[in-house]
Amino acid sequence: MSARPTGTGLVVLSLIAACALTIMPLPGSIDSFRPYWVALLVIYWNLETGRFRHLGHGFLLGLLLDIMTGTLLGQHALGLVILIFLLERFRSRIRFFPPWQQAGAVFALLLNDRVIHLWIIALQGNQWPSWQWWLAPAVAVLLWPWLFLLLDYLRRKARVQSQ
Amino acid sequence: MSLGASSSSGGLAADFSSRIARLMAYIVLCMVLMTLDYRGYWVERIRTGATFLVEPIWLAVEAPAAVSRSVARRWESRSELLTERDLLALSLDQSRAKLLRLNELQRENDRLRALLGATATIDRNFQAVELRDLDLNPYSHRLLINRGASDGLQVGQVVMDASGLVGQVDSVLVHTASVILLSDPDHALPVEIERSRLRTIAYGSGRNDEVRLTDLPMNADVQVGDVLLSSGLGGRFQAGLPVADVVEVERVPGQAFASARAELRARMQGARHLLVVTDPSPPEIDSDANQRVDDDLDVATDVVQNADAQ
Repeated sequence: MSARPTGTGLVVLSLIAACALTIMPLPGSIDSFRPYWVALLVIYWNLETGRFRHLGHGFLLGLLLDIMTGTLLGQHALGLVILIFLLERFRSRIRFFPPWQQAGAVFALLLNDRVIHLWIIALQGNQWPSWQWWLAPAVAVLLWPWLFLLLDYLRRKARVQSQ
Repeated sequence: MSLGASSSSGGLAADFSSRIARLMAYIVLCMVLMTLDYRGYWVERIRTGATFLVEPIWLAVEAPAAVSRSVARRWESRSELLTERDLLALSLDQSRAKLLRLNELQRENDRLRALLGATATIDRNFQAVELRDLDLNPYSHRLLINRGASDGLQVGQVVMDASGLVGQVDSVLVHTASVILLSDPDHALPVEIERSRLRTIAYGSGRNDEVRLTDLPMNADVQVGDVLLSSGLGGRFQAGLPVADVVEVERVPGQAFASARAELRARMQGARHLLVVTDPSPPEIDSDANQRVDDDLDVATDVVQNADAQ
């Protein structure tokens, strides 16, 4: 009973950290490598604890991101809704993948998300992004194992403390 | 497949199709939201309201960067500060010398204007603002500055830096305002080519350092290296502010219009300080405050339509 609130607290804290990392200033040259932190967290919490299983969660989270980063209202929402849908579709399989295959699945999900964003960006009349833009999912996958281990560690610690 | 399995897979299929239906509903909802936001209908008001909720998050995220900068400033070495001071003193002297000449020119200009019976120009007031340490999505073509409604900023005020025009204030929060850049594909700016006095409209190109002139007549007098100034048409931007340098002119045979690319004067990379022009706007635009947000674009399209009609 007492483990539940600490778990939720950790989820909320990690999401706040992800939002901060999303709008934190980076030097212009590495700005396009910025991984999609919120999506990584959604994938982690979905796979490991079964949170963020509803499309509505992705929608609301996406709207928050849209307002925060100044994109078109609904752009991140659309990406996250589709991401959660795909995640739910293949969840039972991805959960039992070996780690490297799981990282591959994460990469595919993030790449798909980039394609959705590219589509919206192009529809708005913007120039096509430079090739570095496509490296962000790769950077995210490189960070994925460490994020996984860190969050596992934090969860274990929270559980021990609550007992 | 056995009969037993088919009933459970039928249940799964039903579950799956309901999930597809929900997905479709959300996708349609997102599309509608994006379209309304793009077209600037009432979603704009919702967004402005929601941004007030997000402002505390922005301020909180910026805090560590602000603290680290103030610490770094404290540890800046004395010799560095001295050299910086010397440089600043030198540039101040130069600016003063230029200003003396400028004052003389201003007086002369006033006399000439009085002789001609022309209207007097309005004095410009500037408010110095700083960029917030926050990166918005580069495709939103927005900047956040550290002044807002509490400092008297208003939607539509012109923003520039030391070298040229940057954009205009797009929405105002309590302690923050967002600035729409000239490079936004939705932004149109009435400009004038300094050399040939040709008036046209510079559209945002979607790239952060560029604007486009897309409706130049084929025989228009435009060259690479020409300087674009704001023309003052439309009443939003003051006339004569430097905007961009033409870097490429394209005349495709068979096309109705020539086009040109121009590189913005304002240096967005590494810039921290901006100026907001806070002088009173011309009265005919002040009178209908509700219309102010979009009137620049409206005027711009009017001009285009007139040019087409001729």
